[in-house]
Amino acid sequence: MSAIRKHKSDLVVLFSALGLMAVGLIVIYAIGPMRANVLNNTYGTDYDSDFFFVGQLRSVGLALIAFFAAFKWIPYKYINKFAKPLMIIALILSGLLWVLAMAHSSLVKCELGECRWFNIGGLSFQPAELLKLAMVIYMADFLARKREEGVVGQWQEFWLPLIIVCGLSLFLVVIAQGDLGTGVALIAIIFGTLLVSGLSAKQYLIMLAIVLGLAVGSVITSTHRMERVTAWLTTLTGGESTDSTYHIDNAMLAIGTGGMFGVGVGNSVQATGYLPESINDSVFAIMGETFGFVGLFIVIAIFGAMLLRMLKVAEGTTESNERILVVGVFSWMLAQVVVNIMAMTSLVPVTGITLPLLSYGGTSMIFIAFAIGLVLQLSCYTSREVIRNEDISSRRRLGGTHHTSSRRSS
Amino acid sequence: MPRTNYSAASVDANSIKYLRHRIKILRNVVLILLAIILIRLFFIQIIEHDAWLAKADEEHTLLETIVAKRGEIYMMDEGEPVSVVLNQTTYNVIIDPSVTDKDGIKRALGTYASDYTTADLDEVYNTEGLRYSIVAKNVPRTAADKIAEEGLSAVWFQPNNQRVYPEGEMASGLLGFVNSDGLGQYGVEGSFNDILSGKDGLLKATADVNKVALSIGSDNTKIPAEDGKNVVLTVDRGLQLGLEEVAANAVASTAATNAAAIVMDSNTSKVLAMVNVPTYNPGDYGNVTDASAYMNYVTDVPYEPASVCKNFAFSAAINEGLMTPETTYFNEGYEIIDGWKINNAVQSASLYGTIDMRTALSWSLNTGSIYALKLLGGNPSAINQAGREKLYDYYYNKFRLGQPTGIEIMEEVGFIPDPNEGWGRDSVYANMTFGQNLSLTMIQVATAFSAVINGGTYRTPTIIEGTLTNGELITSEHKDAIEDKILSDDTSSTMRDLLVYNRTSKRANGIDRSGYSIGGKSGTAQVIKNGAYDDTMSETVGTYIGFVGSNGELPKYTIMVKIWAEGQQIDGTQNAGSLFDSMSNYTIDYYKVQPK
Repeated sequence: MSAIRKHKSDLVVLFSALGLMAVGLIVIYAIGPMRANVLNNTYGTDYDSDFFFVGQLRSVGLALIAFFAAFKWIPYKYINKFAKPLMIIALILSGLLWVLAMAHSSLVKCELGECRWFNIGGLSFQPAELLKLAMVIYMADFLARKREEGVVGQWQEFWLPLIIVCGLSLFLVVIAQGDLGTGVALIAIIFGTLLVSGLSAKQYLIMLAIVLGLAVGSVITSTHRMERVTAWLTTLTGGESTDSTYHIDNAMLAIGTGGMFGVGVGNSVQATGYLPESINDSVFAIMGETFGFVGLFIVIAIFGAMLLRMLKVAEGTTESNERILVVGVFSWMLAQVVVNIMAMTSLVPVTGITLPLLSYGGTSMIFIAFAIGLVLQLSCYTSREVIRNEDISSRRRLGGTHHTSSRRSS
Repeated sequence: MPRTNYSAASVDANSIKYLRHRIKILRNVVLILLAIILIRLFFIQIIEHDAWLAKADEEHTLLETIVAKRGEIYMMDEGEPVSVVLNQTTYNVIIDPSVTDKDGIKRALGTYASDYTTADLDEVYNTEGLRYSIVAKNVPRTAADKIAEEGLSAVWFQPNNQRVYPEGEMASGLLGFVNSDGLGQYGVEGSFNDILSGKDGLLKATADVNKVALSIGSDNTKIPAEDGKNVVLTVDRGLQLGLEEVAANAVASTAATNAAAIVMDSNTSKVLAMVNVPTYNPGDYGNVTDASAYMNYVTDVPYEPASVCKNFAFSAAINEGLMTPETTYFNEGYEIIDGWKINNAVQSASLYGTIDMRTALSWSLNTGSIYALKLLGGNPSAINQAGREKLYDYYYNKFRLGQPTGIEIMEEVGFIPDPNEGWGRDSVYANMTFGQNLSLTMIQVATAFSAVINGGTYRTPTIIEGTLTNGELITSEHKDAIEDKILSDDTSSTMRDLLVYNRTSKRANGIDRSGYSIGGKSGTAQVIKNGAYDDTMSETVGTYIGFVGSNGELPKYTIMVKIWAEGQQIDGTQNAGSLFDSMSNYTIDYYKVQPK
């Protein structure tokens, strides 16, 4: 890293992130009053009409601080050193949440029967979001070190600690908190980072098959998850509406009514209480109604540009841990974007996952903003030349099947 | 594999290639997934757009009826309209037990609406999964406002429109009631349902999930409701109240169970009181066990009014110039016609032989009215076709008996037999002269009687003064009202003399005060049992009809009473007659008719 002169950060990633936050603010500004109205009517709460906009403004403010902290102020080298402690803290917090939830502590906030938040002095905090960030940083450190040690793919040195950490994380998130969405993001981070860790394709595919098998098993054995899958299949095949298809039916209705150009800001009807989670997980559907196909195309293009630029940054990194970190953030973003949007368009079952930078919700935005900030920090040190790191730090061969290559790198 | 075989450069190249390959996989993953999403979005938003719009329209459109306010009903009192049927909005209180604070709602209901609480709150809160419960019904506005001020979560107020009757049971038979579907039943409520209920409006709007209309949406429409009209009756509230009490006393002091009465202006046919006792509470109509209590016997129930019809037979013969009060005939006490023996009710040796028509009327001799029918046919010794047709012409075409009077409220038609069709026409028409073998409503008889005594003009009866808009009475003319001079002034004058004589000879005895011109005629009708008149007279219906006015002036008020009970002998002269006495005196006092 020291050999590379610091240069300008990746402007596409930078402006994509800032642009998405701005779009999120506009959407919450338009539909927040409706959300407040619905909650007030239904639950007799007393939210101001600008309650959610102010909330989102505060989240964006905090997210920007986290964003620039990661981008400009805290060197990655320093963060990398805390990979393990950070992971331990995240796991302890998640474990603590589980224990406190079982003890019905007032420090735990539960919604719709799922206890995923600490509630301290009116501020809520979702440890699963910290866990995703910790997982990215941990994987970057762990995989890079194992690679350096040349033990990638070995059972005791590599797989065993990996399975313990990842298994524990997934257990605390999926089983203890019932948070399948975060589980999907974690699996994406794990397999995204593993893909660029130097692991052989064979081992990678075997492991992927095992995890997918476990995932399918966990769906089949859980009536709650099975219900979601059934609901999804019902909607996909145009079956009768039921209570469990209500969410997805209304998401589709919102997107469908948007048409080419949308109904315009402030004219969403689905946001007036028909579509559940209209400002959080379902914000994409409301955007579809408001901005139409053209608007969604632009939003997806922004996400796409950001994701592809992240891969470009990953390619240009000079250190393996940096590269793995960037791919980890990329995988996290990709998983959330794709799973959220595909759920809203009935391509996959609803899992309850936020749309990065757009959904209402403080913790989620702050952590993803921090992660993107890290990518931007690393984008200042990319090289368009040979990835120099490889012949310096990697004493061992990578993989096993790459025999020849006469092609020059560009 | 020995790594030493590879130069640093080739390791480098392999690594780069490896990385490129893996990144390329990720890049393809991104592109493929986003492409799938975009295709899917194109499908939903562009291709299926219209279908989703149609579905959204279905889900979001609120079609709500704007209920028109039902018109109120007024009576007249000293020339001013006063309300006798009002509307009041009350509220049902609904809670969501999973949200609403139990102690809060308990306290609020206990403080403000304990009389209206309909649910056991402990039971409501113990019911698993209950999200909706009506905890109080018909709570008045003020109490509902107080509960609302408590600011409890998830408490709703569902408005109900209720009819309120400030005079209680007064005129229940005339007013009718409004059923739970908001439809007027019986009486004025039933007759004027269309006018009173107005026209509901329609609200079509895009609405939120709680069915609250939004300003979003392009084809929102609102057709405002047209409120019902306030109907003002010609009925005088004070007179109505007083006469109901009089009638109730009469029923209470005799064997009778029911009484009905009508007071109308003899010269305009405006109905001033329409009495039915017993009354019922229209606000609690459901607790009436016998539906006959809903009947307005003045207009709804035709019957045989008996000897009061002699007035019409006599009027006809006098008006044709064929008879005077001094005309004489031979009374045997009975007649045999078509093989039927028709008796006089009063058999007295002093009445046998040649007597005049004045005597025949005052003793209500059936043979007298039969003689009038014979005279109508031009043959004093027998009833003939010409006589029957003449009587029919007077009864049906002139007095309009057996046909709708045209009063604005519902009425039955009754029946007058054809003069030529059917067997035994002579006996049937003989019976008709003393009010049997036909079926008439009180309103028909009272209106025809008014023509007999008011100078001979038949006027369509009316009970509607007009409508009340913003406190202003707009009088309305009765459309299709008939004004028909059917009898000569002399005939009418003669009939008045006969009726006054009738009363002074039979009923004066200090009941009628001097200075007034009061005339009347009783009627006691046999009831048909098993298809024939019951000659044992075990059950009779008493009727009395008369007029009231100052001496030497045209009568002002026509009063008709009917009093009866199943299985009881209720007599026209005594029972109905004394009820008439009370009513005529009450009317004189009420309207301060001056003696002359």
